[in-house]
Amino acid sequence: MALLEVDDLRTHFFTREGTVRAVDGVSFAVEKGKTLGIVGESGCGKSVTALSIMGLIPKPPAKIVSGSVMYEGSDLTKLSERELEDVRGREIAMIFQDPMTSLNPTLTVGTQITETIRRHYDVSQKQANKKAAELLEKVRIPRAAERLLDYPHRFSGGMRQRVMIAIALSCDPKLLIADEPTTALDVTVQASVLDLLDDLRHEYDMSMIIITHDMGVVAEAADDIIVMYAGQVVERASTLDLFDNPEHPYTEALLGALPQIEGANVRDGRLTAIPGRPPDLIDPPAACRFGPRCRYAGSDDCTKHEPQLREIRSGHWVRSAHPASERAGSRKPQEVGS
Amino acid sequence: MATTPTDIREEGLVEAALGVSGTPIRQSNLWKDAWRRYIRNRGAVVAGAGFILILLYCLIWPIISPYDPNAVDYSQAKLDPSLEHPFGTDKFGRDLFTRTAVGGRVSILIGFGATLAILLIGVVYGSLSGFVGGRLDNGMMRFLDALYGLPYLPFAIITLAIIGRTDMWTMMIALSIASWFTTARIVRGQVMSLKENDYVRAAKAVGARWYRVLGRHLLPNTLGILIIAIFLELPAVILGEAFLSFIGLGISPPDASWGAMAQEGRGTYRTHPIEIIVPSVAIASLVLCANFIADGLRDALDPRTRES
Amino acid sequence: MLKFIVRRIFWTIPVLLVVIFLTFIMMRQIEGNPFRQTERNVPESIQRNLERKFHLDRPWFVQYLYYVKGVATFDLGPSLVIRGRDVNDIVKEHFPKSVELGIYAFLFAIVVGVPLGMLAALRHNTAVDYGAMFFSNVFHAVPSFLVATLLIYFVALEAGALPTSGWTTWQSKILPSIALGFAPMALFARLVRGSMLETLQQDYVRTARAKGLRYRRVVGLHVLRNSLIPVITAAGPLLGFIITGSFVIELIFNIPGIGQYYVTAVSSRDYSVVMGLTVLLASIVIFANLLVDILYGILDPRTRDART
Repeated sequence: MALLEVDDLRTHFFTREGTVRAVDGVSFAVEKGKTLGIVGESGCGKSVTALSIMGLIPKPPAKIVSGSVMYEGSDLTKLSERELEDVRGREIAMIFQDPMTSLNPTLTVGTQITETIRRHYDVSQKQANKKAAELLEKVRIPRAAERLLDYPHRFSGGMRQRVMIAIALSCDPKLLIADEPTTALDVTVQASVLDLLDDLRHEYDMSMIIITHDMGVVAEAADDIIVMYAGQVVERASTLDLFDNPEHPYTEALLGALPQIEGANVRDGRLTAIPGRPPDLIDPPAACRFGPRCRYAGSDDCTKHEPQLREIRSGHWVRSAHPASERAGSRKPQEVGS
Repeated sequence: MATTPTDIREEGLVEAALGVSGTPIRQSNLWKDAWRRYIRNRGAVVAGAGFILILLYCLIWPIISPYDPNAVDYSQAKLDPSLEHPFGTDKFGRDLFTRTAVGGRVSILIGFGATLAILLIGVVYGSLSGFVGGRLDNGMMRFLDALYGLPYLPFAIITLAIIGRTDMWTMMIALSIASWFTTARIVRGQVMSLKENDYVRAAKAVGARWYRVLGRHLLPNTLGILIIAIFLELPAVILGEAFLSFIGLGISPPDASWGAMAQEGRGTYRTHPIEIIVPSVAIASLVLCANFIADGLRDALDPRTRES
Repeated sequence: MLKFIVRRIFWTIPVLLVVIFLTFIMMRQIEGNPFRQTERNVPESIQRNLERKFHLDRPWFVQYLYYVKGVATFDLGPSLVIRGRDVNDIVKEHFPKSVELGIYAFLFAIVVGVPLGMLAALRHNTAVDYGAMFFSNVFHAVPSFLVATLLIYFVALEAGALPTSGWTTWQSKILPSIALGFAPMALFARLVRGSMLETLQQDYVRTARAKGLRYRRVVGLHVLRNSLIPVITAAGPLLGFIITGSFVIELIFNIPGIGQYYVTAVSSRDYSVVMGLTVLLASIVIFANLLVDILYGILDPRTRDART
């Protein structure tokens, strides 16, 4: 049984200009002990999906209009705010993109860790402080015990992200959602943070959802990947299968935009950019949302009907009328060892 | 002004230097956009209309009014509001509707005069300090800090005492001397931040002359702040004048400002409260309108401050 | 932390000196030697004695130094108009009442204004929000003497509930405090609301909620603490307002405080009283600003590390 199962989730923003269908029918599952990667460009709905799982979407304009998020037997979308407060931090934890602004500048780092611990466990301040120091050591911050008394502005960007990770891990959650954890960091720091996440994940036997627009990050960190576009899942597969045999034209384009230095995919010439822009999510047409930018579009299947997500191979799903293996002249994908 | 090739080239380079994210101000659009945004704010529009209405009332009514604001007629004293006297009469029998309009002229004139003076002093001091920077700026700011220590009303009172007389001009001077500090600070802050701003740097990097930088980039932005400052200082000055007059240090009768009228009305507030209520409400209305206008202007001229 | 406080205190001294200097200079402009006025029939020999005693025969710079020495030892000199009374006596008799009035007004402003602002922010864009903001906008614009008059009219006269003047029983202290505190209360409400709305948008609030903290804690600790920071910076100048406002309120409610005395002193050219009172008031303002700065340092740790 999967740890987390999202089924046909739809989150809409009701604004003066219209209803923005930010998440429009997203389904996926996260297995115990595995990492799911969610990739897509800005605005595709990946962050909103994560926030919807946690119930952290801004309630006045936004609302989960349908769908379910099953976690350990209960539907998170149906829980009250108080019940959700028990789940957050303790069962499911989340770290955010910008470590510079995600920590409260007027509280010490130690307080921000211990308040989480003491919220979910009945321990004394001293015990919480001890645990907090251990956590800082675990995320490889030197002189942990002294650093507890420092304020966030005394830490560098990379170290603040580690503090965020420490906070997230403080209550032993079963699932960690990382929303663009490395986007705001320097490249060298990125690698160390990803390494850290990987080690900790194994040590704590945690599942993880990692959200990013960087294909390189998911290639390293994720076991399975879903590709999102315009509020929908357009492809879902294991990492290996996705990179070796991408099906959706958008995924192909994304991978084609990656520079390849060696290996079978080395190309001469320019990196391919994807022309055009994502559609306006206020009134999306009842057609394939990627259509206007797709080089294979044209038939009625794309322009008049919205393609559904279908299992094209075992464990590989795609939402397209023209997946790679069905196009004329394409070679059959080699079966990837699971 | 015709755009020469150098203008176009400079603009293009500035744009390129900034990328799409930077927002250089294009003079023609800024005011139109701001106006459009201002109109959308209903409160600000109503306030603007109210403000203009009050101004018109004070300007026009005394000309067409059948009453002499200073004519004493005890037979008409202390009347309640009626059709002939919309605000009633005061204890000397003078029509309050007319007197309020006349008083308004005085108060508003003092208000605008002092505000203009404040702006002048503030702009000069602030832009000097901000533009030159360094030790001069430091010194000027420390001096300003010291000036902040002088409480407003006592300062104005002492100034009035020094000058010796209390008429419109001295009021203006006293009030403006006591309240230019904030404007100076704002202007200085604005000049300093604009000096270091990316688009100013970009323009300089392209080789733009300093007067072009000043005229095209620094000034349009500061202008917005100044307009807002006008509508923020105006109510403060009008209230200040009202307070001074109320204490008895205001314009000598019979020329009365609203504050002076309120002070006169103090004596009869138990039996005929309208004499103090009318001028006070007049002050409050003008101040309220100015506040709302200032808010509306702030929202209109700085699109980043948006309410969620 | 201590270094920060010490540094701030150190800087107030030169500020105070400059303030005294400015006041001194201004007072000198009023009427020169106060003893030579013809209204006071002081015999020539006594005059010369007095001059020597008060160092009036020395150059002005020396007089200034003597005065500063006096201030440092809390000796503000004698009154020049009322024989046999020192400025200190006058201060001791009238000042405490004004301070009390100011404190009560300030407390009223905080106790009513801050929760009002919080409520408006938490119930953003609802009727509560709009109502509270309209209310506070109006009352920020209304001059305090109008509020005072209305309060007196309705509460004291019509309902007979509270006395209209004096500062004796606790009942008599209610109306003046409320009248003085009304405008600051409205200001606080607006500031708190604006600040909270901005804080609620911050990323770290989202992080706090993601940790599963109870909403009450998120608001009470994370949001409130950060929201109050800009509000506190506004509290400093607010004190200035309360001081100046008290002049008017004391007049209306017949409270024998400093405000009343100040005006009388100026009109009667009581040189030393005016100086003494001004210096006193200025010291309070400077001290209040100091407190605000220190409080700011406590609440926002980032300022402690920055250069002052």
